[in-house]
Amino acid sequence: MDSYNAPESTPSASSRPEDYFIGATPLQKRLESVRKHSSFIPTPPRRKIPQCSQLQEDVDPQKVAFLLHKQWTLYSLTPLYKFSYSNLKEYSRLLNAFIVAEKQKGLAVEVGEDFNIKVIFSTLLGMKGAQRDPEAFLVQILSKSQLPSENRQGKVLWTGWFCCIFGDSLLETVSEDFTCLPLFLANGAESNTAIIGTWFQKTFDCYFSPLAINAFNLSWMAAMWTACKMDHYVATTEFLWSVPCSPQSLDISFAIHPEDAKALWDSVHKTPGEVTQEEVDLFMDCLYSHFHRHFKIHLSATRLVRVSTSVASAHTDGKIKILCHKYLIGVLAYLTELAIFQIE
Amino acid sequence: MDETVAEFIKRTILKIPMNELTTILKAWDFLSENQLQTVNFRQRKESVVQHLIHLCEEKRASISDAALLDIIYMQFHQHQKVWDVFQMSKGPGEDVDLFDMKQFKNSFKKILQRALKNVTVSFRETEENAVWIRIAWGTQYTKPNQYKPTYVVYYSQTPYAFTSSSMLRRNTPLLGQALTIASKHHQIVKMDLRSRYLDSLKAIVFKQYNQTYETHNSTTPLQERSLGLDINLETKFKSGLNGSILAEREEPLRCLIKFSSPHLLEALKSLAPAALVCRIQKLLCYSGSHSQGTQDPSSWQKDLYLLFVHLYPRC
Repeated sequence: MDSYNAPESTPSASSRPEDYFIGATPLQKRLESVRKHSSFIPTPPRRKIPQCSQLQEDVDPQKVAFLLHKQWTLYSLTPLYKFSYSNLKEYSRLLNAFIVAEKQKGLAVEVGEDFNIKVIFSTLLGMKGAQRDPEAFLVQILSKSQLPSENRQGKVLWTGWFCCIFGDSLLETVSEDFTCLPLFLANGAESNTAIIGTWFQKTFDCYFSPLAINAFNLSWMAAMWTACKMDHYVATTEFLWSVPCSPQSLDISFAIHPEDAKALWDSVHKTPGEVTQEEVDLFMDCLYSHFHRHFKIHLSATRLVRVSTSVASAHTDGKIKILCHKYLIGVLAYLTELAIFQIE
Repeated sequence: MDETVAEFIKRTILKIPMNELTTILKAWDFLSENQLQTVNFRQRKESVVQHLIHLCEEKRASISDAALLDIIYMQFHQHQKVWDVFQMSKGPGEDVDLFDMKQFKNSFKKILQRALKNVTVSFRETEENAVWIRIAWGTQYTKPNQYKPTYVVYYSQTPYAFTSSSMLRRNTPLLGQALTIASKHHQIVKMDLRSRYLDSLKAIVFKQYNQTYETHNSTTPLQERSLGLDINLETKFKSGLNGSILAEREEPLRCLIKFSSPHLLEALKSLAPAALVCRIQKLLCYSGSHSQGTQDPSSWQKDLYLLFVHLYPRC
């Protein structure tokens, strides 16, 4: 059983006699059931519905506004060896030099105007789930403005940030030399992501891996985000399936009014404050059966590739867009979990 | 007048809805104005028909007159048949001859008559350089069956002919042959298109036909255009799984379903053709919602949508 309690405490191990993975961490137990793609019998996995966490209130909404409404490409990242938060200025300088060198080699193509770039490392305060989580940090590539004015920052060409939200299961397993920030999000040219990735890998002996999101997890996300309480909806709730049929694939999009999606969810939802596997399955089955009733097509047999809600939208290729500041931490928590799963 | 002809005309007229009767009779142009004025169209249908048959007898209607009436009826009720599309092609190096309608009709009729001896072939030309052909099939020894004819609509300026699906499949090769030879083509193939709606079929094949002449200028080849089909659903949720879900909710679920694919028609056909289209058609009747393509509605896409919706009407 996997439930996230108050930010301060670690997830408690289940003491139910039914659990047959004795000694396994809650995350491992749930991961086991995920691998089986089935309901963890007899105790189905569950997650807490994202709420406004206490810690998040410390985060300045203005400061994190730039994280919203942007499409991020997701990667999992193994722990960084001998990374230090006090060396951020040094890292900025080194990475800057590296990018310039790569550009001279002819490898860096899209880094703004020739060599007129600036690399900035900065911490993202408050971007964590539990107190134990390492501090998130941000790397940005800016184009240096022509006019040397202090206020003119120049255009942001590329952004990448590293975070860890409720990453206890990973933190427990590593020594102090390592900094665990398993979730990496990038926005900007792919070529830049590659260069920066190379530098990090060389410098901190870590490894990036693209984080795909399978249909199972997309369904969970859809259910969880639909479960979130919203004052007003900014986007329709939408699912996208890809059907492989000759001669070329067919995309089926099912958009449902967010209020109706919420009503459906509320009708399905039984356990207050939590989302269970059963509820996710039932929620999705309701959508499938509504569609089937009209079109006689079994969507469950096709491939779910994208889910969109007013909270966030996620694509199977590992792309995410977060629309709601209120549930930012909740969304990141799930993604961190997926990243950790991929690393282990 | 032959009894069989009288019977055939009678049955044809009986099929015509009362509100269309005068229009069709006028189009037929067999009975004169004076004769038609003697008919009281407000009577019961049987009486009207009786009177009309009587008038036809006076004028000595022949089987070709009856066949013509049948063609006109079919032109007004095209959707009662399912239409196939045939495409003809010239041989390599063959010149494009100027089409001669008279020569075509003669040739077509001759080919069939030579093969079958007993066959009724009738023509009616319409605008757009089209000719409607009606063929009632017989054999060497039996008279033509007037009640199971095949209709062909041939657009002489194009290589396309639309034929009503016939139960008498054995005549299809002969029909194809007659069409090909009479129109001075070399080959004929059946296209993978079917519909009750001639207009939709025309829209598709003629656009394609024009496209081949425009490919040099066109920057967007046909294949790359991504077509869309949007359907608005506003139906109440009813679950077979768990009766209690949303049971109290009066309001319907507001949904929008979008299908898109580079080859929408083929993709949908291969998915679950009859059932899918059937459902969509029913939906459009229920919810009364309109659907539009996802791009700006060029007539091509609108017609494709129409074709799609009417593709398999039998559910």
